[in-house]
Amino acid sequence: MAIEFSNVWYRYPGSRKWVLSSVDVGFDESRIYVVFGPNGSGKTTLLKIASLIYRPVKGKVFAWGYDYWSLPNSKRIELRRRIVYVHEKPVLFKGTVEYNIAYGLMIRGLDRHEALVKARVLLEKLGLSYLADKKTNGLSAGEAQLVAILRAIVLEPRILVLDEPFAHLDSSKRDKIMELVLELRENGTGVVIASHDVFLAKAIAERVIVVENGKVLKPD
Amino acid sequence: MFLMETIPLIILRTLWISGTAVVLSLLWSLPLAYLLSRKHGLAKIMVPVFDALIGVPTVLIGLVLYMLFSSRGPLGFLGLLYTPYAIIIGEAILVTPLITSTTYHVLNNVISTYGELALTLGATDKQAMMVALREGLPGVLASIAMAFSRASGELGIALMVGGNIKGYTRVMTTAIALEVSRGEFESAIMLGVVLVVIVVSTSIAIRFLQRKVYG
Ligand SMILES: Nc1ncnc2c1ncn2[C@@H]1O[C@H](COP(=O)(O)OP(=O)(O)OP(=O)(O)O)[C@@H](O)[C@H]1O
Ligand SMILES: [Mg+2]
Repeated sequence: MAIEFSNVWYRYPGSRKWVLSSVDVGFDESRIYVVFGPNGSGKTTLLKIASLIYRPVKGKVFAWGYDYWSLPNSKRIELRRRIVYVHEKPVLFKGTVEYNIAYGLMIRGLDRHEALVKARVLLEKLGLSYLADKKTNGLSAGEAQLVAILRAIVLEPRILVLDEPFAHLDSSKRDKIMELVLELRENGTGVVIASHDVFLAKAIAERVIVVENGKVLKPD
Repeated sequence: MFLMETIPLIILRTLWISGTAVVLSLLWSLPLAYLLSRKHGLAKIMVPVFDALIGVPTVLIGLVLYMLFSSRGPLGFLGLLYTPYAIIIGEAILVTPLITSTTYHVLNNVISTYGELALTLGATDKQAMMVALREGLPGVLASIAMAFSRASGELGIALMVGGNIKGYTRVMTTAIALEVSRGEFESAIMLGVVLVVIVVSTSIAIRFLQRKVYG
């Protein structure tokens, strides 16, 4: 397993309520997972823990076999860069769309110019070149979500985590993203999608993980 | 019109008094904002208080400081009354809620949001910090510019603890008030225009800087 939870518990700082309790779940590469559950059930929290952003309050998260949170910082960063999380409410940096898409590449040490070219190539591939020079504060909700997703995809992560990725997308954009997701999966990326859309879950999921009230239901 | 020759000096004095007041205020406002962003409980009580104090009447601060600094007041021995330093202290207090509150909100929302975003994209802790600063700094700079405008445009403190002494504590707002009371509207209007120009150009300068950085 790429990411594996072992009896994970989580509550937010300053709160006493357990948001996740005793969760055991795993995500592997080359698979499409849909994490399914009602509002407030804990999907986002689970995804952020899986993406090595939140540290569990109790329990362990193994990342490619390593007990992630007991590793030194220098080792952690290398593992964390294999998995990319996309927020359900897209957050974009100030500046242009191409800067946003190039950001992850630049912090990985890619030359600025090369990173920007890569960003443009990806936009072109989707017929979205017109977005490249746009300022992010002038984007529609759907465009913003699209940019956030592309910013993750360009990094070619081993695991791509999408939190409610289709909320604002029209059907043509949705199809484009689906195509990309399937292409990534063919190339070995694991994709984890949180959603409360049953049809989506049935349509593309190879594994469905059902979350209810902070617990992962056992498949039966 | 005899005032005209001293106008440039009054402008310069206003700039240094208000500028120093803002810098002085930063010395405690920034650490205070940081402290609040760390202590949730304290912030819950203090942030609404600071938010409410942003619009505090300047004469009120002037009055309190006057009582403190007057020769019979508890701080009278410092001899600060009717000096530029008294104005600086008063204006520094005046802009503290504004700077503290804005910086707190930046630290609390902007930095946590963008810091986390950077982590999801594979930033190291240091890279995440840098990007959070990049996103948060404009808000703080804008509030500093606003604080400077408020300090240079206030009358109550400068009048009550500065005393509008010619060549010493006379600043633009007190000069305007004096000129109007003398019926010298021409120079009052001129000073008023300069004041507006200063305030507006501070804000334009900040915007320009942001364009440069984020364009
Ligand atoms: N920052 C936070 N601080 C405190 N509690 C939180 C925080 N974020 C979420 N929670 C609580 O944790 C629980 C799970 O939230 P989570 O966002 O994981 O749910 P979700 O399944 O993603 O919901 P949705 O479908 O609405 O996105 C909720 O009860 C929520 O109120
Ligand atoms: Mg959610």
